Amino acid sequence: MTAATGGPLVEARGLSRSYRLGESVVPAVRDVSLSIAPGEFVALRGPSGSGKTTLLNLLGLLDRPDEGTVRVEGRDGEALTEEERSDLRRDRFGFVFQTFNLIPVLSAEENVAYPMALAGASAARRQERARELLAAVGLSVKLAVRPDLLSGGQRQRVAIARALANAPSIVFADEPTANLDSHTAEEILDLMRRLNAERGVAFLFATHDALVVSRARRVVTLHDGAIASDAAS
Amino acid sequence: MSSFALAWRNLVRQKRRSFLMIAVVTFGFAAFALAGGFIAQSFEGLREGTIKSVGDLQIVDRRAVGKAEEATLEYGLPDARRARALAGADPDVAAVLPRIDFVGLMTTGAKSVPFLGVGVDPGPEAAATLVPELIVSGKYLSGDGGDGVVLGTGLAAALNVKPGDRVTMMATTPDGSLNALDGIVTGLADVRIKELNDRYVAAGVGLVSRLLQSGDTVSKLVVFLKPGANEDRAAERLAKAMAAGGYPIVVRHWRELATFYEQVKLLYIGIFGFVGAVLVVIVILSAAIVMTMAVTERTREIGTLRAIGTRPSGIRTMFLAEGVVIALAGCVAGTVLALVVRAALNASGIMLPPPPGATHGMPINVKLYPLAYGAGILAMVLTMAIASYFPARRAARLPIVEALAHV
Repeated sequence: MTAATGGPLVEARGLSRSYRLGESVVPAVRDVSLSIAPGEFVALRGPSGSGKTTLLNLLGLLDRPDEGTVRVEGRDGEALTEEERSDLRRDRFGFVFQTFNLIPVLSAEENVAYPMALAGASAARRQERARELLAAVGLSVKLAVRPDLLSGGQRQRVAIARALANAPSIVFADEPTANLDSHTAEEILDLMRRLNAERGVAFLFATHDALVVSRARRVVTLHDGAIASDAAS
Repeated sequence: MSSFALAWRNLVRQKRRSFLMIAVVTFGFAAFALAGGFIAQSFEGLREGTIKSVGDLQIVDRRAVGKAEEATLEYGLPDARRARALAGADPDVAAVLPRIDFVGLMTTGAKSVPFLGVGVDPGPEAAATLVPELIVSGKYLSGDGGDGVVLGTGLAAALNVKPGDRVTMMATTPDGSLNALDGIVTGLADVRIKELNDRYVAAGVGLVSRLLQSGDTVSKLVVFLKPGANEDRAAERLAKAMAAGGYPIVVRHWRELATFYEQVKLLYIGIFGFVGAVLVVIVILSAAIVMTMAVTERTREIGTLRAIGTRPSGIRTMFLAEGVVIALAGCVAGTVLALVVRAALNASGIMLPPPPGATHGMPINVKLYPLAYGAGILAMVLTMAIASYFPARRAARLPIVEALAHV
């Protein structure tokens, strides 16, 4: 599947990535080619060890492949320096993690504002945008609260707001509902669907949660590091 | 949020560890500042004492530099009154003191002891130097000195004399003959150095000139400058004025004459440098351990920060900022500690033991020496930055995926 309009947002060609485990080399991703178009809502599913997280990390420029390329809006990610990749992640990507990964010493508002500070936004702009995003995820009353005083669902909402801080083209979410109860997981998925619809930001999930898969508009199934199927749902 | 603000939050988060690290810097800084103050005070005391003894400048015959006299006053300054008037005319000169250095034998008839003598002009000498303060029995010379002599306590003990007793001095005159004169002991001085106490004699230049039969010749003129006078410029003017007056002299600075001062200064600088180096090593090792622990504990956080777009240089800056914040916090606390300890020490009246060769100790006195505080801050900030650099670099180089997976 390709972009509905214009070129692909993220495009992988022939990606392979192996890890060394003691004496042996374990292939995690094998010759994967995949395109994500703007505004897509995609689930990357497969059993544990199928390479979902590795592929997500490669597409999100968190890791470098042994072979193949990742192009982001036409730019070759492998040709970029670490500083340039950092800037690209900051400006075009958002990340949501299974364990939320908020900065513990920052309040909810400061966590959301942090990527904007990295991008050089003014303090007033950061505050305005952070409050707007936290309102959008239903946390207007938790602005000054630190992560350790928030529930799991609230933390994930803050993480989603943070992922959207610099108005990214795509949010990469690695098992975003794995640490949440089913009710909260449903709320989080509803939220991401709404943000996807309202803001046009693409979402790519690595998940083995059937609930997430059921909400996705496209499901890519991985098996032993290779794409087994790629279909609209 | 700046790197420093984030650093501060992280330090507050790790209260116990941060407290320990700040305590290391606090004690290190306080030790640095106090040692610096003590040494500065010692230098100042030594400098003042040296200048009180040898003057700011000395005018001597050119031939006297680096050579020992073979005969008494061989390299003396003749026509000393005129020379003294010439030097005293300089606007920066406060006092010009004639001195005659001589050696001889002092006897009471029953016993004879060799001595090191100095002929002085008692009035100006008393005003400009510390010698009158060293009198422990009797009094210092007065007027032109008359027949009075001041003896070191050791010499007086060896001769078994006290103020009011009569002694005979024997010395060689410039033409090589032996002359003797009687003097009356006016006072006993403790000149603080045992070997000198055992040989010290001071007498008026009139009495010494008669003993040596040396007329108006002196060994040197000791010059004291007015407060704030420029030593180099005054020396230059004096050299010119004396040369114009027909004197083949050189003007020597007190530092050239006070080899003891320079040796002690070098010794103190060596000790201070060694102690400083030990402190720096302790702080570096402690800080490196603490920062490495911080990096290890926050590996996943580092991964997250990198994932959301923090550059490697940003991670490096964050940990370096933590080191610098610890240094600054430690310096603030260290300044307070140093000021409290300084006040306590200065009020304690603790006596330091006498240095080798000296007869008296002195009360401990730690000066408030801003340069030591400034250098301490700089040293601690640099030390912490160096100690934080390698853990910070390691943090910046962590592969993001590995960092995110860290448990």
